[in-house]
Amino acid sequence: MKRILDAQLLGPLAAMGLVTLVVALTTDRFLDPGNLSNLALQVSIVSLIAIGATIVIFAGGIDLSSGSMVALLTMVLATLVKNLGVPFWPTLIGVLVLGTMLGALNGVLTAFLRIPSFIVTLSGLIAYRGLALMFNNGSPIFSLDPNLEPIFYGSLFGIPLPFFYLVVFYGAATVMMINTRLGREIYAVGGNPAAAKLSGINVRRVQTYAFAIAGLMTAVGSILMAARLNSGSPNYGQTLELQAIAAAVVGGASLAGGRGNILSTLVGALTIVIVQNALNLNAAPSAVQNVILGLIILVAVGVDMWRAEIARTLGSLMPGRSAEKAREVRRGASSDR
Amino acid sequence: MQPSDEPLWDIVEVSKAYPGVLANDKVSIRLMPGRIHGLLGENGCGKSTLIRLLSGVDRPDSGEIKLRGTPVSLANPTAARAMGIATVFQEFSIVSTLTVAENVFLGRWPRRAFGLIDWDAMRRRSREVLAELDIALDPDAITSTLSVAQQQLIEIAKAVSAEAQLIILDEPTTALGLDEIEQLHRLLRRMRAKGHAILYVSHRLDEVTALVDEVTILRGGRVVRAAGSTAVEVDAIVSAMIGGSVHEHYPKERNTRPEPVMAVKGIASGKGVKDVCFTLHRGEVLGLGGVLGSGRTEIARAIFGLDPLTAGRIEIDGKALRLSGPADAIRAGLALVTENRKTDGLFFNFDGRANISSASLPRFATFGFLNLKREDAEAATLARDLELSRGATEKSVQHLSGGNQQKVVIARWLLSQARVLILDEPTQGIDIGAKLAVYRLINRLTAQGCAIVLISSDHEELMAMSDRIAVVRQGTITDIRAPQEMSHADLVRATTSDNDHEGRTAA
Repeated sequence: MKRILDAQLLGPLAAMGLVTLVVALTTDRFLDPGNLSNLALQVSIVSLIAIGATIVIFAGGIDLSSGSMVALLTMVLATLVKNLGVPFWPTLIGVLVLGTMLGALNGVLTAFLRIPSFIVTLSGLIAYRGLALMFNNGSPIFSLDPNLEPIFYGSLFGIPLPFFYLVVFYGAATVMMINTRLGREIYAVGGNPAAAKLSGINVRRVQTYAFAIAGLMTAVGSILMAARLNSGSPNYGQTLELQAIAAAVVGGASLAGGRGNILSTLVGALTIVIVQNALNLNAAPSAVQNVILGLIILVAVGVDMWRAEIARTLGSLMPGRSAEKAREVRRGASSDR
Repeated sequence: MQPSDEPLWDIVEVSKAYPGVLANDKVSIRLMPGRIHGLLGENGCGKSTLIRLLSGVDRPDSGEIKLRGTPVSLANPTAARAMGIATVFQEFSIVSTLTVAENVFLGRWPRRAFGLIDWDAMRRRSREVLAELDIALDPDAITSTLSVAQQQLIEIAKAVSAEAQLIILDEPTTALGLDEIEQLHRLLRRMRAKGHAILYVSHRLDEVTALVDEVTILRGGRVVRAAGSTAVEVDAIVSAMIGGSVHEHYPKERNTRPEPVMAVKGIASGKGVKDVCFTLHRGEVLGLGGVLGSGRTEIARAIFGLDPLTAGRIEIDGKALRLSGPADAIRAGLALVTENRKTDGLFFNFDGRANISSASLPRFATFGFLNLKREDAEAATLARDLELSRGATEKSVQHLSGGNQQKVVIARWLLSQARVLILDEPTQGIDIGAKLAVYRLINRLTAQGCAIVLISSDHEELMAMSDRIAVVRQGTITDIRAPQEMSHADLVRATTSDNDHEGRTAA
């Protein structure tokens, strides 16, 4: 538990609490149950994709391809179910496998062919959308399968299903990052690949796994996207990859790799959605919303970068504590003797 | 009065406190023109603070700094430079994409009309400066193609071209090989002869005693031995630095047993290693001597599976080792502590515990799940055992001192149950107390039957701590002998005659 609730989670959590408080006090309809449940639905797809984006960032890479991959995978799903008559459940499994494989391909190109992941996934961003347009002459496919919509809109014990997806996948990701060898190796590879190699960690395999996980989560997001709109379209998922990265970054993941708490990404995604929701409720034009989203990312990363300076400033306001801290540093430095 | 009797810079009872720590407590030091002044002390003794004060990076809380008898204020780095102080920090201020000449005159490029750079003047003047210092470098060479040692010479040329009267060098030799150190020392002696004052900070006592005229030693922010009180002599310096007498600063124990552990048979790698043969016995320390670039590090990399073998084989306990990467080497009980613990040793994103366990993850995992409790317990036991500073396992390793960081890296390999440890420059850049701790650790490991390959550019250390020494030249072992049968001169002669720096660029 201590490992989950660390400083890397508490900071973003406090920021989200503050944002929520301000929004709740200033915006009347924010706390309506209908609005809150709508919020959960809105955040679910990007949050699930953000799990993969974050794990790739932890491993020292970046994944720009997820948004276009969503378009491609919804088109594959729609074509299989609607045009080729493949049974529903095998199709879903096929989409999950295909997403994982496309992710692994990103990983192989990055890890084994040593092309920077930014370039590999930028190519994917462009090419996957092109591939999506090759299906059905570039037109969306509607009314796919009666089994599809309940996957997104269904509920269990009166709670919408996407809530459970978030709990299950974030739970699994947290356990993976903290309790498994792969999770530790991902942090190690992202933190210092040279040291990881010298520790006997198979750096290339770990990087490939990280991208494969990202592909799997993108496939999960694609299925939910198709279910939500009961359709597949080559236009789905535009800028979704950037929203996912923004969630990770607002949650405090370091783009340099190796640092961050996966749950913070959920907090980051929620923070962004709450702000967007507040702007919507106050009828802010979408142009303004984009400007504000940009500013949120800047401030979140800025606070992260200037953490030391901010702490020092706060510390100098509380002289007793900072003196204690300096003594601690001194003890640390002198204890080699 | 003789000109050299008047100090160029007179620092009088300077104090500087940082929140909660008095880093300099009434430190006085006189820097004479034409003298090389050594500044010594363990990590955290206040050396860096004093250098920061003299370079104008920080300002003292009290005390006086006098230039030729007149109190001055070193308000900022520009002021310090204007008063003739040049500091060569450990991290160079060289722009690697620029040429030598551009770097020598960095920010002070000679101008022509309209603010255009006068390239001819710049080349001519840098050629003059380089010639004056007897530095054989092409002013048009791009600095990134040069060795660390050559880049350092540029830093000094920069100081000279700025007409600095006082040159401060902060641990200038940590990255240099023996011949390069010699070259640096020759240069500093020339500058001394020209009347420059030099403040020289180093951990390496052998080179300090070979170079400096006087020594000031700091401990806990205070001057514990002022310059001029006694001769510059190693034992006295060591005891003053660590605040107690050290009977032996190389506490060597001999633990070699007859059984061989590892046999290296004619290995070669694509990185210039060729036909390397040696046998390592239980409890033995085999020293590898040679200059930077002689191939010692490359031999270590080949044995550890980092560079694929192109010939030969390695046997552990008589069984041939199948080596396709470091994971195989680790499983067979090998360990490599690399030269640069900051670049390829430590995980700065991890606390001490995860740093210690990073090479033992398979052992802590069942079906991919780590046993965090056992990891915790075993790392804590090792930390206690190695006398790591309190709480080191829980805090990020970036907050640990150099000595503690080195212990963390070594602890990693104790946890992985290594039986053959390759230590590449294990005491570089750590203070004497921490060095002693490393030597004791070597003794403890060999007493337990571990074998050690020790790579060191510190010849005294190599001679004192090794049971046998192998001389490495151009990627191969030319000679293996006991240190008693090898004189200091043998090692120097064996190592200084070749002049390639390829190993560095390859690494």
